[in-house]
Amino acid sequence: MSSSVLSRVAEQVYWIGRYLERTDATARLINVNGNLLMDLPVRMPLGWRPLIDITGSGALFDELYGPGADASEHNVCRFLGTDLRNPGSILNSIAGVRENARTVRGTMPRITFEYVNDLALFARSALTPGQSRRNRAQALDGISRRAQQLEGFLSQNMLHDAHWDILRIGNYLERADMTTRIIDVRSADLIAGDHALEPFQDIQWRSVLRSFYAMQAYHASVREPVEPALVLEFLFKDPRLPRSYLRCLNGAARSLQELPRNERAAETCTRAIAALQATDVRALGDPEARTELHAFIDRCQIRLRDLHDTIMATYFD
Amino acid sequence: MGITFTVYDGQANVDREWPFDIVPRLILKDEWDEIARGLKQRVKALNAFIDDVYRHRRALRDGVVPEDYVLRSREYRSRCAGVTPPQGIWCHVCGSDLVRDDDGTLYVLEDNLRVPSGVSYMLENRAVMKRVFPELFEHYGIHPVDDYPARLAACLRSLAPSGTRTPRIVVLTPGIHNSAYFEHAYLAQEMAADLVEGSDLTVADDDCVYMKTIEGLVRVDVIYRRIDDLFLDPEVFREDSVLGVPRLMRAWQAGNVALANAPGCGVADDKVIYTYVPDMIRYYLGEEPILRNVPSYRCVEKEARDYVLDNLPDLVVKPANESGGYGMLIGPHSTRKERDAFVRAIRAQPRNYIAQPMLKLSTAPTLTGSSAEPRHLDLRPFVLSGKDIYVTTGGLTRVALRKGSTVVNSSQGGGSKDTWVIEGQ
Repeated sequence: MSSSVLSRVAEQVYWIGRYLERTDATARLINVNGNLLMDLPVRMPLGWRPLIDITGSGALFDELYGPGADASEHNVCRFLGTDLRNPGSILNSIAGVRENARTVRGTMPRITFEYVNDLALFARSALTPGQSRRNRAQALDGISRRAQQLEGFLSQNMLHDAHWDILRIGNYLERADMTTRIIDVRSADLIAGDHALEPFQDIQWRSVLRSFYAMQAYHASVREPVEPALVLEFLFKDPRLPRSYLRCLNGAARSLQELPRNERAAETCTRAIAALQATDVRALGDPEARTELHAFIDRCQIRLRDLHDTIMATYFD
Repeated sequence: MGITFTVYDGQANVDREWPFDIVPRLILKDEWDEIARGLKQRVKALNAFIDDVYRHRRALRDGVVPEDYVLRSREYRSRCAGVTPPQGIWCHVCGSDLVRDDDGTLYVLEDNLRVPSGVSYMLENRAVMKRVFPELFEHYGIHPVDDYPARLAACLRSLAPSGTRTPRIVVLTPGIHNSAYFEHAYLAQEMAADLVEGSDLTVADDDCVYMKTIEGLVRVDVIYRRIDDLFLDPEVFREDSVLGVPRLMRAWQAGNVALANAPGCGVADDKVIYTYVPDMIRYYLGEEPILRNVPSYRCVEKEARDYVLDNLPDLVVKPANESGGYGMLIGPHSTRKERDAFVRAIRAQPRNYIAQPMLKLSTAPTLTGSSAEPRHLDLRPFVLSGKDIYVTTGGLTRVALRKGSTVVNSSQGGGSKDTWVIEGQ
């Protein structure tokens, strides 16, 4: 009997993929920002607000922490890390992984749940609001590592059937989404040509690369100094960088090919890739092209949302 | 030690542990074979009875079982009348509870014909024991129990509406919050069947059942349902059920899908009907019952009722249609106030109660702290009825962990043991 993939189960697997990726990305984001700020002069205008903007949760943050809320390190880390009122917080993302994993156990090796529990238990005990920076960094690092370990475990051990393809699509879409968001928010500060920040541009672009674990990859692949236009092109278009926008779309397209009834979703994906290929991303790195860059990223996000909606409608409804 | 399905979650602690006692319960093979024969006989007669109730009502006309008791049972489903399930079998999975008295006599305490659970614990208990005592399994002829999922799958396959396709089997669960969810997931996995919830299924205009998959709708042939009759189909039974599938009964009545167990089975595990099982065996099979019933008083009959009301402190009173050990009066351990409440309840609804003498249940050594002490126990073997009848080797032994207690239900602080059927000498 060939096993079918229930729509309900497929949807849960998809969200496991997304939440797992979100957990890892958010943990890295906070850590990299913490490191960046240490290198910037105290009076720099950057601070923690950009993380709220990256995760697209400004309205909720203001609602929870008061209008014009203080985007202090404490508030932002709490909001993104442990605040259960924020559906995108790390603890909630992990809970999302766990809730969904509980009901789809038959699709993954039995021991998977031990990895999931380990991640959840570690996060809950290690990550606490108002902890010292050192402890926070260690906790986030541990979370990120456990999330990646779980992804690695699944890729090496679960059956690479349709469940796997759907899990991957969830991974890729979340990753592509996060990649474009990080670039959008960071470039707004960086390309803006804020004179106060100019001497620190290099540090900042390096921090962007670090949010992707991509410092070494950049050097190996681009073989040029860290420059805005080159970094942008690298993060959008390098087909070998696992978190590049192109690589995510390619990955989603490949996984989609394995699924039945994939016509509409595959077409949406192909269009997004074609649109990227037709864009001179390097030119968007010019400080003069800031508005165009933002508009381009906006279109990328709309395409990602289209793809998500198409997948929902095709497979999960 | 044992099986924990608990996730350490303060807010959503939906799983729980079931205490496992490491000292196995032993039964000799020869004795077991006789019990298994008795169980097959019993389940055969029960199936004949259910089929009769919903079709010809022969036994009711012949006065073997009073018609009134059957048709007014809470578990009688008029919507099932006239339906002809494959091979005339209604109860495909039966879990009968056996107990032993202090003089060694074996009794059937009750038959669970609706959605009996516990078989996964039997399987997991064995897996734990093999891990802990591999040597014992090498040296003693302990009969295996592990073939149950394969037998269940074969039994379910045999129910599929005839056709050329490989039948598709699903396990229908109420969902993750059900106390037996682990078992539903476990059995589905072991049988390579799909674990579905009501919302995963739909009945199309052709009155066939389909499940919603990423490929579209896929036809379903056999549903091993682990939800109660009343929640199966909101169009027929409880309208507020969100667990079931609208029009499922129609698909079943048309013979387009098999339901195991069939709806309406519960009419035979009504405890008043239970008292007639030995008569059913004689009536349908022309045989003497191999296994005994616990002597029972039907409170609906005046003479029996008077006796029960006069002797409550010595009796166990059971409601006709509860399960899980709920709503019982254990006379010798009861207070005056509790007995008074039962006097009123029995007078108000005599049809709803039976009473039995308090059995002195047998015990087995059970670890308590560092020493072994006797604890009361029962046994739930599982009987599968399809083309053939299959009885598990042994079954699930449940044990009352509190000293002196005779209540073994998992919902009431009971635990379990592995059950070894072994060759004598």
